[in-house]
Amino acid sequence: MNKNTIIALTFIIVMAFFPLIADSAWLGIGITFLIFACVAFSQDIILGRAGIFNMGHAIFFGIGAYATAILNVQFGFEIIATIPFAIILPVIAAIVLAGPIIHLRGDYLLVATIGFNIIFEQVLKNNPGDITGGPNGIFGIDVVRVFGYELFSDTAIYYIAFGLLLITLLIIRNLDNSRYGRALFYINKDEIAAKSMGINIPYYKLFAFALGAAIAGAAGSVFAIQYSAVSPESFNFMQSVMFFAIVLVGGSASLPGVLIGTFVMFVLPELFTEFNEARYLIFGAAMVLTMVLRPNGVWPASFGNIPKYLKEKVKGAK
Amino acid sequence: MDIFLQQLINGLTIGSLYALVALGYTMVYGVMKLINFAHGDLVAFSAYVGLTVFTQFFGSGATSFVSVIIIFIVTSIIVAFVGVLLERLAYRPLRTAPRLSAVVSALGASLVIQNGIMLIWGPNMQIFPADLLPSTTWNFGGVIISYTQFVILILSAVLMAALYIFINKTKMGTAIRASAIDQDAAKLMGINVNRVIVIIFVIGSMLGAIGGLFIGIYYRALTFDMGWLYGLNAFIAAIIGGIGSIPGAMLGGLMLGLFNALIAGYISTEWAETFTFVLLILILIVRPTGLLGEKTAEKV
Repeated sequence: MNKNTIIALTFIIVMAFFPLIADSAWLGIGITFLIFACVAFSQDIILGRAGIFNMGHAIFFGIGAYATAILNVQFGFEIIATIPFAIILPVIAAIVLAGPIIHLRGDYLLVATIGFNIIFEQVLKNNPGDITGGPNGIFGIDVVRVFGYELFSDTAIYYIAFGLLLITLLIIRNLDNSRYGRALFYINKDEIAAKSMGINIPYYKLFAFALGAAIAGAAGSVFAIQYSAVSPESFNFMQSVMFFAIVLVGGSASLPGVLIGTFVMFVLPELFTEFNEARYLIFGAAMVLTMVLRPNGVWPASFGNIPKYLKEKVKGAK
Repeated sequence: MDIFLQQLINGLTIGSLYALVALGYTMVYGVMKLINFAHGDLVAFSAYVGLTVFTQFFGSGATSFVSVIIIFIVTSIIVAFVGVLLERLAYRPLRTAPRLSAVVSALGASLVIQNGIMLIWGPNMQIFPADLLPSTTWNFGGVIISYTQFVILILSAVLMAALYIFINKTKMGTAIRASAIDQDAAKLMGINVNRVIVIIFVIGSMLGAIGGLFIGIYYRALTFDMGWLYGLNAFIAAIIGGIGSIPGAMLGGLMLGLFNALIAGYISTEWAETFTFVLLILILIVRPTGLLGEKTAEKV
């Protein structure tokens, strides 16, 4: 076992036993951390791995949360039955929204995704067809029922979120070892070179968008379960900025980096509520400072993700 | 027809404000290829500084033409200073870093300025004094132009003309244009690119400050987070015109102002932002380099 595996296993074991030692306030923070970590990882697939400047990630998180809320409260679906919709609808949205703009380069795409996020927020607030609940959102979402058991305790929700994080990590691990993951890295490093090697760039970029949206949608569903309510503020443009910043502050395409980013951006503010007023000021200053001191993030990914057999080949050749 | 002409005047007024702010975005983007997300918050900051200068030095008493000019000059200088400081602390260390690092730094700087405003002036809405400019209005056959609108339109036009001449006819302007095309080549030609960048931050911040003061005078309600709203609109204006292009920012600003006014006058205010962003996304899809932007090939 190498060092990284040990760190990863320690993290998973600590997170698995965390509810045994935590009181209810800490458990809530733990759930928030797990959910936002999933969203941050899904943003990392788009931003960190594929290198697409997506600043509208809260849209997919929001569609997932609203899918669960609307289907449960307005249409009486069981929570479990809403989860497939909370995954598929963001994927459809990702393909429909990102499809026409996927060819745009960097900054233009960033601005277009900001635009989508602001439109999304306005749609939620203006409540077309009376289904989104307007500025107040939707509350009174049901508890999760599986085979007659009601999973309403914080501990149960914690383990749902934890399960989602494990699935996310598994997906990312498989992605990194697959043709798709390598194509995304290649596109990120040098788009023109990738294109000339015959990689279908729009296809892989849309794939990254769809995969990221699916995970974010599932996380949104768990978010709706945790608070049993959704409101537009949780999915506004500022939230997208946070997801964007998490990945880059932590270190793009770096699993520990993204976890550190999530911890710094979402958990530390919960702990320092006494600085409430100056919180975002410190936050912003920390963002500038991190980037100035460590332009590649706190814990940058170590030399790409070159597969081991290739590294060994290089060693052998020497 | 009266409504149309009225909305035309209103739109041109708002458009001039957008254009003034958009120039700051487009100049910084032109030279540094960086979306200066903090620019909108500088604009909000300038409105607050203007308010404080006014209440500190002139009280709420009668205002003269001279006092208004003093407010504009003092505010512009303070905001230009903050703009240069911003460049020095948040952007210069990242000039050779990956581009996204600079974007995050800009977002962080934006949060700092926005929440700095909140800590200094408080989270509640502040009201700009009404008597800064005379409340005279003129009525041209049903179309009403206020003194404020008149001043905004005239002064914006003068400033933009001055900037156009500065960029195109002076030595420094040539250096700015050269740095925008190729920084390394500009350096080899003996241009001090650091100085060019400081100058664009000074000019951009001053124009933004004047825009911010006009926003204060025209709309009067100030909130600490209003920088995002005006900043985004101005930024959209810069993109519509073609980011990096100075005449483009002027044209884009006026067009966006007119578009907003006509949407608000004829269709809906509830969905105003949606219309703006749909327009933006359509323009990005059809012509990503904007109306006046040059089509440049991607560098290999």
